[in-house]
Amino acid sequence: MEDRFDLPQGTLDLLIMRVVALGPIHGYAIAQRIQQMSREVLQVQQGSLYPALHRLEYKKLLASKWELSETGREAKFYELTVKGRAHLEVETENWKRLTDVVGLILKGTLEGLS
Amino acid sequence: MSWLQRLFARRRMERDLEKEIQFHVDSQVSDKVRSGISESEARRLTRLEFGGTEKIKEDCRQSRGTMWLESLVQDVRYGVRQLRKSLGFTAIAILSLTLGIGANTAIFTLVNALLLRPLPVEKPSELLLFGDGLAQGSTSAIPDESTKLFSYPFFHDLRQEATSFSGIAAVDSSQSATKASIGGGAYQTAHVNLVSGSYFSVLGVPAFLGRTIGESDDGADGSGPVVVASYSWFQRQFNGDPSALGKTIRIQSHDYTLVGVARPGFYGYTVGQSTDLWIPLSMEKAFSRPGWDGLGSKFFQSLYLIGRLKPSVTATRASAETNVLFHQILRSYLGPQPSQEHLNELAHASVELNPGGRGVSFLRYAFSVPLKILMAIVAVVLLIACANIANMLLARGVARTREVAMRMALGASRRRIVLQLLTESLLLAFLGAVAGVALAWKASAVLLSMATPGPNPIPLNLTPDLPVLGFTLAATVITALLFGLLPAFRAAGLEFVPALKDGRGSSSSSTRGALARSLIVGQIALSVILLVVAGLFVRSLIKLSNVETGFDKQNVLIFSLDSSTANLPHGTSDEIRSVQLQEQIEDRVQSIPGVKADGFAFFTFNQGGWTDQVLFQGIPRTQSNDGQVFFNITGKGYFSTMGIQLVEGRLFTAQDTQTSNKVAIINETMARRFFPNGSPIGHRFGIGETPDHPGEKEVIGVVKDAKYSSLTEDKLMAAYFPCTQNPGFYGNFAVRYAPGANRQEIISRTRRAIAEVNPNILVNNVVSLEEQVDSSIATQSLVAQLSSFFGIIAVFLGCIGIYGLLSYSVARRTSEFGVRLALGARSHMLLWMILRECLLLLALGLALGVPVALSFTRILKSQLYELSPLDPTAISIAIAAVSIMTIAAAWLPARRATKIDPMQALRTE
Repeated sequence: MEDRFDLPQGTLDLLIMRVVALGPIHGYAIAQRIQQMSREVLQVQQGSLYPALHRLEYKKLLASKWELSETGREAKFYELTVKGRAHLEVETENWKRLTDVVGLILKGTLEGLS
Repeated sequence: MSWLQRLFARRRMERDLEKEIQFHVDSQVSDKVRSGISESEARRLTRLEFGGTEKIKEDCRQSRGTMWLESLVQDVRYGVRQLRKSLGFTAIAILSLTLGIGANTAIFTLVNALLLRPLPVEKPSELLLFGDGLAQGSTSAIPDESTKLFSYPFFHDLRQEATSFSGIAAVDSSQSATKASIGGGAYQTAHVNLVSGSYFSVLGVPAFLGRTIGESDDGADGSGPVVVASYSWFQRQFNGDPSALGKTIRIQSHDYTLVGVARPGFYGYTVGQSTDLWIPLSMEKAFSRPGWDGLGSKFFQSLYLIGRLKPSVTATRASAETNVLFHQILRSYLGPQPSQEHLNELAHASVELNPGGRGVSFLRYAFSVPLKILMAIVAVVLLIACANIANMLLARGVARTREVAMRMALGASRRRIVLQLLTESLLLAFLGAVAGVALAWKASAVLLSMATPGPNPIPLNLTPDLPVLGFTLAATVITALLFGLLPAFRAAGLEFVPALKDGRGSSSSSTRGALARSLIVGQIALSVILLVVAGLFVRSLIKLSNVETGFDKQNVLIFSLDSSTANLPHGTSDEIRSVQLQEQIEDRVQSIPGVKADGFAFFTFNQGGWTDQVLFQGIPRTQSNDGQVFFNITGKGYFSTMGIQLVEGRLFTAQDTQTSNKVAIINETMARRFFPNGSPIGHRFGIGETPDHPGEKEVIGVVKDAKYSSLTEDKLMAAYFPCTQNPGFYGNFAVRYAPGANRQEIISRTRRAIAEVNPNILVNNVVSLEEQVDSSIATQSLVAQLSSFFGIIAVFLGCIGIYGLLSYSVARRTSEFGVRLALGARSHMLLWMILRECLLLLALGLALGVPVALSFTRILKSQLYELSPLDPTAISIAIAAVSIMTIAAAWLPARRATKIDPMQALRTE
């Protein structure tokens, strides 16, 4: 547990959209998928997922519908809207550039220090 | 989305949220159970991993973005429930808010209609009025000060020369209530105004139908027998039938063609008068008014001029240009060799350009100050109401401590609590405002008719418009914040004055007490200010109504007659026929049983007047006799009708005919100023500074002084001339009847007698002389009545506050009093203990309010008649009234404390 770290601000939205991009999926599954994909390193408070989902839905980046889940119960499935897909692409690109730049700086600084 | 849909959607969203969260929790629990953990352990772990479901739900609602709306709906519904739970509080609060907001809205409606609202014309801000618009009628004097009225030739000459204006319009300063008939039908009263051909185009008022008056109608004398009707007159007379265009309308005895209807909502340039028909100024000669045919004369000044500024020109430049042209043009009117005196007069003359977008209005002039005073008074009343409600909310806040604590414990934030409590306050204020606007709608019309009593209501649109509703909305929100903010912050436990909390344990109840007490001190202070103001107005009104008028106002009726359709001769030697007609009416009415005296007059009381200087032969001008003399022209019976007593000489008799020696009766003041040591009888004078007919009039009698145009006027010099020697039809007919006579009977028999003499003389209206006197001080009496009314309301609200506070503290200290009584305290000691608190508040309130009142009342000086703004009687009465009422309000709860049964009090604890 000690190895896990909290998500930087704003990245949860990106992760959620990435997961939802794979196809309609309900909240519980999103939580599990994020956990698995991050190889259990990321600490996502399960509950905090839902306000983010509702926010994305309110911004019309996600759409939702009620369908039967694998266990036969009705669950709320989310999927990306067209606007959401475009947003995801832009944000992913931004994220890559940001991490590259931050990485460069950190690397340079460390090298400079050593 | 409708209310219903939103509520429905909210329910569905809540259900979905619940289902979604539940699905997650259940799935997680069953996954854990499948991996071999016991069900109860699985549930515990899930709760840990997932977090508090209620908190998450709240976050979800928040992130939906419509949260504020949902909370608002929720808060309003909760607020309604809370208000319904304490109906007594709600009723008192809404009632005082209705009164407070209603009174403010009503007064503001009048302020808006009279002082603020622009005319429904194009770009009203571009319009400039020449002069201040505060004169009406005509003058032939050479201008020697800031000019208010202009002549028709000046209007034409100025238009030729002036470059600052895109157009200049002229309108007759006095609108006439005269008679008109459509297509030969019966004559009806119509308000007719004469305007220049440029009037409608300069104001930017388009025709609703047909055309407006144009330049071609305003050419040579008599060239434009056309008429434009106001939309409302057109609707009234023709029910909006467009085929009315082209019809003939007979005004007085002249025919006009109806060529158009002006835009709806436009009633002319004078606010508080509504014009029915406009005719071109070129028709002035055909339009009969006694002594009113000088349109061609260069110094017959009777018009208002309105200019529309060119967009590129500033008002300052326009003013400079106008004044230069004004002097040039008037100088040319004086002829090649003007007298030095006239040049001197002209040198002092000027034209002031004023914003003209709001039209002219005498009401505005008369009511501007009273309205501002009333506005201040009602604002103070609203403040007092706010303090009262704040106090009640503070008391409720204590009672609701548990509720607030509970909601906070359940996770409500302080912000949320404050917002909820403020929503409740806003709800109260809005309920009060809705009732207040309804009240104001009716009240402002009632106020207006109280201020301007008379048979015809002042046509002023008092329907709440956008500025009024905006004002009310702002007043409502400010009110709600004023009375709601403090109690809300207190209830949510947010200290407003943290210093108060320092060094004290549980300060909550003591700060509440301090707050409540300061609110009451404030209320007492404000009430005493209002009462001082009310007292001053009432005392001034009493003085005013006891003014010696010099005539007996009881049992006199004034008939206002209209001869415009009787085709009487004007300006010819035949004009004596009018006087003979009057004498026939006088004789016939005199014989009606119950009539004691009657007589015609140019003016009775408060109807304006004709003034000029006089020059007695052989008497030098002195400081004291160098002033304006008020002239009147009367029938023989006028003095006995009015009860104006003869002091010396004789009254007019049948010997004073058109051809006999010209005579005059003067009043005592005039006699004294010209003849301090002797009798004026037999002396002769002429009218004017340098009379055209020196020594024309011989003084034959001296009568007592009287009030002529207002009760507040100083002693005026006055002279009366007989109708026979100044022929004309003078519309005011005064009739004195015996004290016990039936007034209605007298009125109908007089009407009949007039109709018998000449059926074309129409009676416009009948008022009693007493009503005429009362209506001359209607504004003062309205202000006195309203300020007293609001003063009483203020004191009453203050008393409710004190009663509430002390009742509460007595109830809280019941057991303490029980103990005191059991230990031998006398009931009067308890009484004193409680009253002492109230007396302290009273003393503080008075100490605060009286000095403020004393420094403020100076503003009222101009509104008070022969009364110092520091009148000790008014101030003492105000202090006494507030003190008595405050102590009375405290007495009841204090008495209750002394009635406490010690045993019962001790057991209740």
